[in-house]
Amino acid sequence: MKLLIKDIKKNFENKEVLRGASFVFEKGKIYGLLGRNGAGKTTLFNCINEDIKIDGGSVQIEENGSLRAIGSNDIGYVLSTPVVPEFLTGREFLKFFLDINKKEQSNDQSINYYFDLMKIAVEDRDKLLKDYSHGMKNKMQMLVNFIANPSILLLDEPLTSFDIVVADEMKQLLRHIKNEHIIIFSTHIMELALDLCDEIVILNQGILSQIEKADLDNEAFKDKIIAALRGSEDA
Amino acid sequence: MLKTFVLSFRLKNTYKTNGIIYALKALPLIKKLLPESLYADAGLKQFANIISILIEICSAFIGKALYVLLMVFSLCMVMPTATADSFVHIFFFLTIIGGFLNTNLFNPSKDKFYAIVLMRMDARAYTLVNYLYFLLKMLIGFLPFTLIFGTKAGVSPLLCLSMPLLVCSVKLMVAAFSLHDAKEGEKVRNENLPTAIVWSGTGICLILAYVPPALGYAMNQQIFMALTALSIIAGLCALLYVLKYRHYRRLCQTLLTPGNFAMNTQNAAKVTQANYQKKISMDATQSSDKSGYKYFNELFMKRHSKLLTRSAKRITLIALAVFVVTAVMSVALPDISRQINNLMLTFLPYFLFIMYLINRGNVITQAMFMNCDHSMLAYRFYRKPEVILSLFRERLKYIIAINLMPGAVIALGLPALLLLTGGTTEPLNYLLLFVSIIAMSIFFSVHSMVLYYLLQPYNINVETKSAAFSIANWLTYIICYIAIGKQVPTLIFGTAISAFCILYVVVGLILAYRLAPKTFKLRP
Repeated sequence: MKLLIKDIKKNFENKEVLRGASFVFEKGKIYGLLGRNGAGKTTLFNCINEDIKIDGGSVQIEENGSLRAIGSNDIGYVLSTPVVPEFLTGREFLKFFLDINKKEQSNDQSINYYFDLMKIAVEDRDKLLKDYSHGMKNKMQMLVNFIANPSILLLDEPLTSFDIVVADEMKQLLRHIKNEHIIIFSTHIMELALDLCDEIVILNQGILSQIEKADLDNEAFKDKIIAALRGSEDA
Repeated sequence: MLKTFVLSFRLKNTYKTNGIIYALKALPLIKKLLPESLYADAGLKQFANIISILIEICSAFIGKALYVLLMVFSLCMVMPTATADSFVHIFFFLTIIGGFLNTNLFNPSKDKFYAIVLMRMDARAYTLVNYLYFLLKMLIGFLPFTLIFGTKAGVSPLLCLSMPLLVCSVKLMVAAFSLHDAKEGEKVRNENLPTAIVWSGTGICLILAYVPPALGYAMNQQIFMALTALSIIAGLCALLYVLKYRHYRRLCQTLLTPGNFAMNTQNAAKVTQANYQKKISMDATQSSDKSGYKYFNELFMKRHSKLLTRSAKRITLIALAVFVVTAVMSVALPDISRQINNLMLTFLPYFLFIMYLINRGNVITQAMFMNCDHSMLAYRFYRKPEVILSLFRERLKYIIAINLMPGAVIALGLPALLLLTGGTTEPLNYLLLFVSIIAMSIFFSVHSMVLYYLLQPYNINVETKSAAFSIANWLTYIICYIAIGKQVPTLIFGTAISAFCILYVVVGLILAYRLAPKTFKLRP
């Protein structure tokens, strides 16, 4: 399965944020999306997730050799600021989510399994989500996206709010599920991108391009990425 | 000093100008014509600049004109005491209130935050120069109106001239006292959050301002003259204190904390949201044996019972109590009985406003957004058309049920009162009273839901991004307000309003079903 982004254009008034960005994302890989502040990473995610209308181009899925449009169940989008329904407890949110996904029985056993998976403490499971910390809300948001199991996961700066232990757990989890998914991961943290991602894609001047690592060592690769990100400025 | 003033005035004008351009861009048609670059457009900037200065000038006069006209002049005309005496009497006591509630020095304004905290201007120079400017605006702003209305009320011109001086003197005295109280600036009272003492003082002064004149006692012009003279002397001393006070920087730092004022709409929105989230209540009994979206919605309603059902129940009880009292009175007193009978047959329009007031729909929809939809709409599954519509149905059922609690009591109470007070020759009236109240109750429930789903005005930061929603709500209010006091036979109004409500509900629901899947989303 592939996610085909073809010539996407997006303008805000006269400002061209995306000017014909194209890329093919493949299943089984984690893509690190790098771009400078204001380069349009979140805009790109919003376009892929159809949160905003694109002014040109197309976003499609290629499956078994045929093209189709993206459906609601194809994409999971984890926002950098976690959003959860504040009036439910963690357990209730999970029950609701399992209910509507009709994947399995939403009994306490399966719910506890997921809590264990995310290492959410027993005493926190029946608290209202409004009283969860930022990191815990983020965990919940990540969790429901894992449960829904969409084939494409868009993660906008997802690990920055986690402490280092949780961030490491999440990395393991992402590596664990990557074979069945297309994971696109936006970040400002170069080390994270190099550590976790299989491919580095940069968004610069509204265009997507892949930076080949080839046989460079990490330092040289970093320099190459920075040069690519800076490139336009000098040009 | 002058340099500080010019600098601070220009700073203020710069963002006021930008504010005007921003407001222009919020207007539906005009925004299409204006490009993004217009903040840099010199011509437009000049235009906005002129408007901003005009607003500054007008604001110095208009408020004071209305104040003298409405709070003092118009009321002193109806007092039994001599008009001139009432005028000075009321003016004196209101001035004391104004001294405490509008100090300028202790107002945590945006202007001060920008200049002192962000731009790091000299706090003392900035505060003093703007305070003196504020006093000057008081003097000049009040003068024409104390003269015009004062002399009209028969006050001697000399006193009219001294009135603005009284205003400034009282403000200065309060300022000096508060500065003294603030010591080195660590204990600052925010004028927008008056203490209990200030509130009670305000209440007492209001009573002193209006009650004695109404009872025939008012200070005469001589006493006013003496008090004013004393105030001016004290005010001059206070001015010296204010000018000599050294700790303005500390004072401003204490005053200008983020909690003291909402810096921008985003902060204000966050405050609203935090307040809504405080309303979520949870206890062990709240559970639901439903599943999926019904489960989700039922828990939402239960967790918000404080906001929703509890107040509806309270209104229901009040309605019941009003009904019982009216019923007893109408049985006991034939005079009142006749009037109520007449009321039932002609005053139904009034109930449009009452039904509007007791409708909880707007509170419910706002709670829905703040505590639920703002986060859930970020999930794609939540935006599927069938999900939007099924939740719309579930929610509507609850809102209608909540609003029908008091609605049913009123709907049954009105025909019962009509019957108790002697009935009517046209039996259709009983039915119409019942049907129209129920129809109005359902109408308002549907109305608030349809407006919310069609015009969802917030973005993910809970900032309002669309004026249409506010305008629609405002129009609803105005229309209901206009209905007050209109006397229309129940036969006519009841039929018309019932038909309208039914038609509206049908059209509204069709529109919601057609359009909500597209319109119910977070604003960009």
